[in-house]
Amino acid sequence: MLSKLRDPSEKTLAVLLLAPAFLLLLMIVVYPIGKLIYNSLMDVDKTGVFLGLRNYVDVIQDPLFWNATKNTLLITVITVPGALIVGLALAMLANLPFKRKWPVRLSLLLPWALPLSFAGLIFAWFFNTDYGVVNDVLFRLGLQTESSSWLLKPNWAFAAICLTIIWKTSSFMALILLAGLQMIPRTLYEAAEVDGASRWQQFWQITIPMLMPSIIVALIFRTITALQTFDIPYTMTRGGPGEATETLAMLIHKYTIEYSSIGFGSTLAVFMFVISLFVTGFYLRHIGKNAT
Amino acid sequence: MKKRYALKLAVVALASTMAAGAVWAQQTTLRVFVGPNQRPDLQAKLFEQYNKANPGVKVEIETGGATSELQRQYLSTVLNAKDSAIDLFLIDIVNPAQYASKGWIEPLDKYVGGPAALRNDYLPVYQNANVIGGKVYAMPSQGDSMFMYYRKDLLTKHGVAEPKTWDELAAAAKKVTVAEGNPNLQGLSFQGAPIEGAVCTFLLPYWGQGKQFNDAAGKLTLDKTAAVNGLKMWLKMMDDGVSKKNIAEVTTPVTVNEFKAGNVVFAINWGFAFDRFKDDADSKVKGNVGVMPLPAMAGGKSATCMGGWQWAMNAYGKNKDAAGNLIKFLSSKEASAFIAREGSILPVYQSVYSDAAVNRVVPWFKDALPVVLGAQSRPMVEDYGQVSDIIRTTTSAILARTKTPEAGVDEIAARVGRLMR
Repeated sequence: MLSKLRDPSEKTLAVLLLAPAFLLLLMIVVYPIGKLIYNSLMDVDKTGVFLGLRNYVDVIQDPLFWNATKNTLLITVITVPGALIVGLALAMLANLPFKRKWPVRLSLLLPWALPLSFAGLIFAWFFNTDYGVVNDVLFRLGLQTESSSWLLKPNWAFAAICLTIIWKTSSFMALILLAGLQMIPRTLYEAAEVDGASRWQQFWQITIPMLMPSIIVALIFRTITALQTFDIPYTMTRGGPGEATETLAMLIHKYTIEYSSIGFGSTLAVFMFVISLFVTGFYLRHIGKNAT
Repeated sequence: MKKRYALKLAVVALASTMAAGAVWAQQTTLRVFVGPNQRPDLQAKLFEQYNKANPGVKVEIETGGATSELQRQYLSTVLNAKDSAIDLFLIDIVNPAQYASKGWIEPLDKYVGGPAALRNDYLPVYQNANVIGGKVYAMPSQGDSMFMYYRKDLLTKHGVAEPKTWDELAAAAKKVTVAEGNPNLQGLSFQGAPIEGAVCTFLLPYWGQGKQFNDAAGKLTLDKTAAVNGLKMWLKMMDDGVSKKNIAEVTTPVTVNEFKAGNVVFAINWGFAFDRFKDDADSKVKGNVGVMPLPAMAGGKSATCMGGWQWAMNAYGKNKDAAGNLIKFLSSKEASAFIAREGSILPVYQSVYSDAAVNRVVPWFKDALPVVLGAQSRPMVEDYGQVSDIIRTTTSAILARTKTPEAGVDEIAARVGRLMR
């Protein structure tokens, strides 16, 4: 046995080297997910008996679950492309041959470095009815005569949250895309110029195709975090008015922490897990293949 | 030689650690959680007194969670994990039923002497809230209740009497704000944001019509028409310009700050706010603050919302006997009088309201007793966290005008009805 370990075969060595990582993953990924599914199937809050799929049926019949799912998907569909477009513009701006690069890079990094809840609180103040900058600017421009309560109107509150998320996340997009932009050889553009291609043609024929792998990576990361949106709506509206801006992650928090209903909260989390899995699978299957 | 020296050193180190451990073992350390609004500074002084009289016990204080909901979230995380780190905590009046049903808090009968300990001098509302299934689960520490604060100077200046009904209040507020001509001056400030205070915002005008939210068994007895009328009263306050249009964004501290800044004629808030109006360095209304019972709805009678904080013991704690003794001390009449004197905190004992030493510092307590005796408590049910969330979120949405009062009340009746039947 010992001698085997001292001079391991190729196969044993592989097992030995992989074991620590495997054990770690077992502990921090497989165990929590297993426990989550266990909690969703048992009456963990009261009697502890096996419930089967009762929690799952309750979740499907809960209108709050569908409302939160709709909000989460809507936020994803709006803010992921939004952040991609703004991020791409920022990345191209930062890629311009500035004399001093650091001020541009710094302003690019700042929103990314800020904690999510800070961004939420800052924008909540922007949109505040009584003291907000947004109302003040509109007053000064003569566009309104009475303060608007942006965060008390469902559609405006939703728009304000999406705007904040795009502002907060586009710098992450820009960082990844900037790295991609710098990998594109200058010679391609020079050749295109010689051939008489316009800036617009260069952008669509060279920049975008060459940038595709970076775009895919950025999209996958951004989509997964968008599905888990919590901090910004929580600090801006607490899900309000009513439940108009409540996301799935907020609903899970509400049930597990505020209501101490671990079973139902875990079931909601299983649903979110499945949705994330589905979306990631879609990316890997359809877009990932094309990119490589 | 070196090895032997190291061995000797190890033996000495071990012996001294054990000796220190023995001394340490004689001293019990109790960790106590107190929310930041429950005056941890004054509690710390009480703990100091206790430490002096009981040298074997050391009391450590922990604080956090700005609001009642945040404190509930923190404690439920700790207690769900069966953590023994905190021995005692102060919980809101609405929580004992929930905590007891989860098995998170220890029955205190053994330490304080059964439900009889809560009779006699305690305010009746605390006798009810803390006894569940015939057992004492928490001991009252700080009283609180919603009051109507008003600007004495402005009412006198414009010859307005203390209003007795909401209609009178609206007329009085209108008269003062119009005459003052200050665009920043609001007639009435109350809490419409989806916070715990909004549960009281829903209940105040409902109770004010003589209606009950639940029966003694905790079953929902909501009268939908009365609930809709109550909410319409608030909406009318906004329509008439008595309250600001974005009342659905107003939290407890917003009301406190705007009243302190002199921008509010009438303000609904908890008892603790009086001290802030009176003592805070940035208060512009010092000496001009009046307190009165909440107005009644037409044909009804004044009703207010009871709050207050209770000492409860962690069921997973490791120092229960020591914690039991500390609870006895903290819930004593002396302790109640101490925090009443030092922090203008409403006493939980009836007799302390007319205590001479207390009245010297807080003369208005004498008048507060009838208000507090008539105060009602929010439903005390196992699922209070959820009941509260449904009521406050819906009330706030109605005040933001994203739901009609009728639809909102139907929703409360249906969703809360499932939890309280």
